[in-house]
Amino acid sequence: MPILTGLLRRRQSVGDLQSSCSGYSSGWVVDTKVLGLEDLLIVDCDVHVHDPPEALAPFADMPWRRSMEHLGGVKQRYLDIPGYATSLNIDPPFPNDGVNTRHVTTSTQMRDELDAMHIDIGVLFPDNLLRMAVFPQTDYAAALGRAYNAWLAEKWVRCDRRLYGAVLAVPQDPEDAADQIRKYGAMEDFVGVYLPVAGVRPLWGDRVYDPIYEAASEMRLPVMLHSVGLIHPNFPFNVDHMTSRMTRHPIQHEFALMANLFSMIGSGLPARFPELDIVFTEGGISWVPYVMWRLDKEFAETPADAPMLERPPSSYIKEMYFCTQPIEEPDRPSDLATMIDLFDGRDHVLFASDWPHHDFDHPRAVMRVPFEAEVKRKIMGETALKLFGISRPVTTA
Amino acid sequence: MNRILVGSVDDIQEGHPVFVRSGVLEIAVFRLGDEFRAYRNRCPHQQGPVCNGTITGTQVATASSGWVPEWVREGRVLLCRWHAMEFDLETGERIRGRGERLRSFPVSVTDDQVFVDVASRSRLK
Repeated sequence: MPILTGLLRRRQSVGDLQSSCSGYSSGWVVDTKVLGLEDLLIVDCDVHVHDPPEALAPFADMPWRRSMEHLGGVKQRYLDIPGYATSLNIDPPFPNDGVNTRHVTTSTQMRDELDAMHIDIGVLFPDNLLRMAVFPQTDYAAALGRAYNAWLAEKWVRCDRRLYGAVLAVPQDPEDAADQIRKYGAMEDFVGVYLPVAGVRPLWGDRVYDPIYEAASEMRLPVMLHSVGLIHPNFPFNVDHMTSRMTRHPIQHEFALMANLFSMIGSGLPARFPELDIVFTEGGISWVPYVMWRLDKEFAETPADAPMLERPPSSYIKEMYFCTQPIEEPDRPSDLATMIDLFDGRDHVLFASDWPHHDFDHPRAVMRVPFEAEVKRKIMGETALKLFGISRPVTTA
Repeated sequence: MNRILVGSVDDIQEGHPVFVRSGVLEIAVFRLGDEFRAYRNRCPHQQGPVCNGTITGTQVATASSGWVPEWVREGRVLLCRWHAMEFDLETGERIRGRGERLRSFPVSVTDDQVFVDVASRSRLK
């Protein structure tokens, strides 16, 4: 089992919080020690904590604490709680649904399950609050964001020194989100800023969010875009006419990330905030060359549409970061290496598992990409350590 | 031949596989009517514990049915609990896949006792 020592970033004292960190092992993960991943440093840029309303309620302000206590007593479907995690799911139940839905409810369970996959460090994202960008009530959204960040600090990241948080930035209230980024970004337990993508309007990149970009730049925290399945009038989630999850799901993730990247380039975000690191999660990587080349083509024809850009869009996109999950599975794994090289991504691709969600990737799914060992080490962990400002962990037998 | 005793015929019921271990190999034995199948508990996709998955059916639509979806093979389809990939319990092949299949082992019955031969792979068609 890897043992981590010598964290470079200053960390807060763990303190006497162990009592709030009890957990159990769910038995979902098989021991993969025989598969030889145990000596590799692995940083997982996207794992999910289960965040039911009753858990966050004690951390919420009134009157929303009362609302969340009430929601906690309502029968809950998988990541589908009206008023809290609104998916607008229009599908009937199907016999094979739910066979691979999972929750991680404590830091101990998360640690056990990541250990079983030889993952050394995990960056935490929510479950239900992946859908929080759709709430029209600004005060409620901001209260949810504050409650989540406080809960994550106390119940998760302080309980395990190898779990790190991403500060939830509520798009409905950019000023409050900026305050949260400065508050939690000062703690070594938080290494990024989570930007909810599902249903967000306007898209990320819009200048209304400048306080968020400014705070993240100031705290030297990368912003991390993350989407989720959602049906909603806001583009590109208006997929109510599509008849299957298979066809909707890539639009809700990759297309949504593409739309937000288009918006960021169009608003000149990377030129206006040159110190801001931008990370895209849960979209795989094969769409990146398309966006890069397409925007370069448009920029060449209408440069006046992006007067803030000092160079072609692709040169900015190559400075951004892209998480692997859900890693594409072509017949020839070498095609993935080619794809990454198309956007000079050897130093800008980050491993992510998305544990415990239905389409998670085991580290070996990414390890099969036929890069040399040095590049694999970067993708599986070293680039993330550098990006997040975490020192290199030392592994021992 | 390395034969492992799984149990008596009556110990293995439809829908309830029995697990045995041989070294690092974990093998699940499934009953399909009067026949048995034995598969390694490792999915060829990302090597998850496939045999701990759900036994169910699958939906297909073909030209012969006028492209109307039909629910078929109830009780003969194994869903991996990691990514819900579907395997035919009769053959171990992934349903509508790219040639993936579960590693299978021969099963024999002697005096109502079920054995798995872990020394060689099965030659399931």
